[in-house]
Amino acid sequence: MRRRGAGRAAALYGGGLALLLVGAFPLFWMVSTSLKPSGEIFATPPRLIPAHPTLENFRRLLADTSFLTFFKNSVIVSFTTVALTLVVSALGAYGLTRFSFAGRDKVAGLILLTYMFAPIMIIIPFYILVRLLGIANTRLALVLSYTTFCLPFCLWLLRAFFQSIPLELEEAALVDGADRGRAVWHVVLPLALPGLIAAAIFTFILAYNDFLFALVLISSDELKTLPVGVNDLFNATIVDWGMIMAAGVMITAPAVAFFVAVQRYLIQGWGAGGVKG
Amino acid sequence: MRKNALAGWLLLAPALALLGGLVLFPIIYNAWLSLHDKHAFLTVQTFVGLRHYVYFAHDEEFWNSFYYGVVYAGSTMALQLVLGIPAALLLNEAFRGRNLLRGVVLFPYVIPTIVAVMLWKWLLNDSYGLVNHLLVTAGVVRVPLAWLGKDYIMWSLVLTSVWQFFPFVVVTYLARLQTIPPELYEAATVDGATAWRRFMHVTLPQTRNVLFVIVLLRSIWMFTKFDTVWLMAGEGGVSRYIRTLPVYAYARSFTYLQAGMGAALAVIMFVLLLVATAVYFRVFRQEEALA
Repeated sequence: MRRRGAGRAAALYGGGLALLLVGAFPLFWMVSTSLKPSGEIFATPPRLIPAHPTLENFRRLLADTSFLTFFKNSVIVSFTTVALTLVVSALGAYGLTRFSFAGRDKVAGLILLTYMFAPIMIIIPFYILVRLLGIANTRLALVLSYTTFCLPFCLWLLRAFFQSIPLELEEAALVDGADRGRAVWHVVLPLALPGLIAAAIFTFILAYNDFLFALVLISSDELKTLPVGVNDLFNATIVDWGMIMAAGVMITAPAVAFFVAVQRYLIQGWGAGGVKG
Repeated sequence: MRKNALAGWLLLAPALALLGGLVLFPIIYNAWLSLHDKHAFLTVQTFVGLRHYVYFAHDEEFWNSFYYGVVYAGSTMALQLVLGIPAALLLNEAFRGRNLLRGVVLFPYVIPTIVAVMLWKWLLNDSYGLVNHLLVTAGVVRVPLAWLGKDYIMWSLVLTSVWQFFPFVVVTYLARLQTIPPELYEAATVDGATAWRRFMHVTLPQTRNVLFVIVLLRSIWMFTKFDTVWLMAGEGGVSRYIRTLPVYAYARSFTYLQAGMGAALAVIMFVLLLVATAVYFRVFRQEEALA
């Protein structure tokens, strides 16, 4: 019995170590490369930890490229998208759960159906439409496209959360003299907070990560977001690996920080509907 | 619950306007566009009926893209399961550091695609990449492999994609594993079932449905994946050895500027997915009837 326990522990920790390597080692290598002076980057055998760590790659990235402009654009577009998506989907989810009207469930089903369309399947008409509306090459076009693509998931997620909040709580607040807006603000939204946070993470990750819409809809350099901007850097000249890995670290940092800060709420959201990608 | 239809519709209006205007309308417009010859920028268009569809039926490039798409979606799907399910089973066991590991496993899924692709291109770099260094040092290969050359580019793409997306399988499968009643395992253990038999007779039947959904969603998403594939090789050079349908549709629309043909490819992709999904549901139902 004891020997079986020891074997089990060895298997668990062996597997755990392998998983740790798979998940984290590539990222460790990115950070390590970003801190190496160029001589060390191309050294054989490669060193795991830089012998002479330097921030030179980061300095070049910030001083010699438009990285900060791309970064600013990504942040503006992502946060605007999160705000807009939360407002629109919370309103919609509230309408779907607190009012009864003919065709309500059909509408909800139809909204879910739109979730099945990958961006690549509608990017062409989308592009033509955006040009017709005169908003091609604007941040607004990006915000609207990301909001639209996040809506079905966020609406369904929030609908599930709103459904689980007892109506009586809201009615009690109304009886106590609060108007509807205050009842929602002080009773419903706090209870739905985990759902709102999960929706925010999902939206942020999608908007921050998107490549296709940004590639098609944005043409001027000063409006490009990180994925397209950094891909341009990568293609521009002989690849400066130290600088590219520094860019990787800087792009990843906000995504991981945002994710870690609110991670525990995400598991609930994931349980409720899955994440696309 | 109030019977106030107007208020309900008003609250839904912004969402419906966005979805209707920016998803449903484009879908319909796309189908209509696929029957026309149209330049991506210019407004002129001429009706050509089903000519684009007939063209693609005989287009070697289309069939290559279809083939690459099936290879890519199929192999990445299978490998995500091979890696993801054991990882989920592991993370369902109790051991020190489990919660930390659960967080770490999600990293590849959370980092932006552009970073994942750049990082793997660096790891797989033919002269200075760590992968080649390890392979040569360990004596697995005598000379460094050209991972990003035409012979191995598909392997590299599959590797990168599996790394990036297997955490989805882990999280989804793990969520279901946690809801299996422990009594089922206790009963099986009392009956003397080995770990393998417990997996086959308790875990697998309990998780059938979630596996069904995982395979369906991941296959669709891998088949329609654009960014990872496109970033891996861009448009020139070796990109034609990994040119899946989404990339081909993009190239037709925005490189050759043939919006009508691009639209037709989008419709074909949609129909293929619809048919595959229908077949998949049918097969799965039949199996359930047999079981």
